Amino acid sequence: MMRALAVALALLAGCSAAFAQDLVSGLSQDQVEINSSYAGTSIVVFGAIEGEDPTPSSPKDVVVVIRGPDADMIVRRKTRIAGVWINRDQMKFGGMPAYYYLASSRPLDKIASPQTLARYQLGLAYVTPQRILGTHRPEKAEPFRVAAVAERARDGLYAQTETVEFLSYSLFRVHIPIPATVPRGEYTVEAYLFRDGTVTSAQSTPLYVDQKGLERRLYRFAHASPFVYGLSAVLMAVLLGWLSSLLIRQPR
Amino acid sequence: MEIYLPIAEMSVHWLTILGMAAAVGYLSGLLGVGGAFLLTPLLIFYGIPPSVAVATTASHLTASSMSGAIAQWRRRAVDFKMAGVMLCGGLAGSIVGVYLFGLLHRLGQTEVVVSVGYVLLLGTVGGLMLDESVKTLRAAQAGTTPPLRMRGHHNWVHGLPFKARFKQSRLYISVIPPVALGFSVGILSALLGVGGGFMLVPAMIYLLRMPTSIVIGTSLTQIVCVTAATTLLQSVTNFSVDIVLAAILVVGGALGAQFGVRMSSRLRGEHLRLLLALLVLAVAARLFIGLVTTPDDLYSLAVGT
Repeated sequence: MMRALAVALALLAGCSAAFAQDLVSGLSQDQVEINSSYAGTSIVVFGAIEGEDPTPSSPKDVVVVIRGPDADMIVRRKTRIAGVWINRDQMKFGGMPAYYYLASSRPLDKIASPQTLARYQLGLAYVTPQRILGTHRPEKAEPFRVAAVAERARDGLYAQTETVEFLSYSLFRVHIPIPATVPRGEYTVEAYLFRDGTVTSAQSTPLYVDQKGLERRLYRFAHASPFVYGLSAVLMAVLLGWLSSLLIRQPR
Repeated sequence: MEIYLPIAEMSVHWLTILGMAAAVGYLSGLLGVGGAFLLTPLLIFYGIPPSVAVATTASHLTASSMSGAIAQWRRRAVDFKMAGVMLCGGLAGSIVGVYLFGLLHRLGQTEVVVSVGYVLLLGTVGGLMLDESVKTLRAAQAGTTPPLRMRGHHNWVHGLPFKARFKQSRLYISVIPPVALGFSVGILSALLGVGGGFMLVPAMIYLLRMPTSIVIGTSLTQIVCVTAATTLLQSVTNFSVDIVLAAILVVGGALGAQFGVRMSSRLRGEHLRLLLALLVLAVAARLFIGLVTTPDDLYSLAVGT
């Protein structure tokens, strides 16, 4: 919520400061379709800084971040009980992004102060849940949050890179991977222009990831009429089982 | 070579999955077991979510037991009345098991319960099988035959009420043991994604004293029905059956089983059982080590719900 407000304010600031500099960005595609051979893809985010002076007085930085569908995450910590490691303490985080990929033109700590980065949730250190359930003491949740971020990073679903490249003094481009394991849903791609540690312009574009064709129909089928779906799974198994019994019988 | 699984919501290398299913199918054809106790851990290890792995293996089992059951039906080596009685318990067990599975999933204890369950089950069954096959092999070497079990000798099972006549099995026993047996195997099928053949067969031989010739057919018939019911229930309650994954598993399993069955005729029964016992114990040991050694990461993450 706070972050949404901050983004909105930044967007407003971008509009009012349009006479000075404005960030315009776009995506190579606004929809990613998951089909049967989907093995991950990547999109290109490109943009230009309008009204940019070729020899600027202060350094400029671009940060591009994609984050997508809010998910509830449960983080559990194992404890040794009677020699066996069992999940014991748990923390429920509401509204964590299922996918988070950040690209910047320079290391984040050189671009802005921790406060600014935290306000826009830029960087893995600042990806925080919207709600914490299960404890009233947020500081107790911190190790769980760090563990969640680390696990997502290991799975390639959270990442932070410095891959924004400037093609000229005002044009930039970045490749953003969309791994095969991302969930379906709505994502937002945000581009920020930083100057002297503050956001001077920002733009947000939606990106949709959805299953297509047979995959989509199967997923819908499984959820809309689970009984018929289960029945057809059984039927398929019975049929294939019968077929293989014929196959096995032949050579004997 | 990647294929996207719509329910697991991930793409997999379908040749790898096919290979895994074929390897397990080979072993199951060779050793005459369903092999789900190997397939489920393998799928989880590959990265398939445990809930999807357990539920989808059930439909794989329907197919592989089906092909075995058909062969037995042709030979009329099935006691349908006994299978029906066990099925009553089996369906109830499957319902309880699917409910328990959902509950454990919400509590975040699926992993540990599944692992502990496997360790206890496989450890016990593997130990018993190892003991028996070693004894048989030793006896064969010594040139003597192992002492046969006393047939017709009554045990506590025969003192129970609600007796019924099972013509095909030539038995007049209480229906309680078969129902209870079916019930516990039904729970295992839903909870651990195993068919339970490796439990049913010895229990039917030693506990119910059924003739060995019809035990396999009867247990396969019961497994076909229970796993079919489990597949249906998992689809309805947990939405966790992936039909694309199931198709790959079934095809791979059937291919592997063919070679396994051909190979099995070249090996001796005692050697096969020794092999199976070692395999079962190895899986149990692997899971036990996972339970007691300090994990690399104490934290685990569950996304969604």
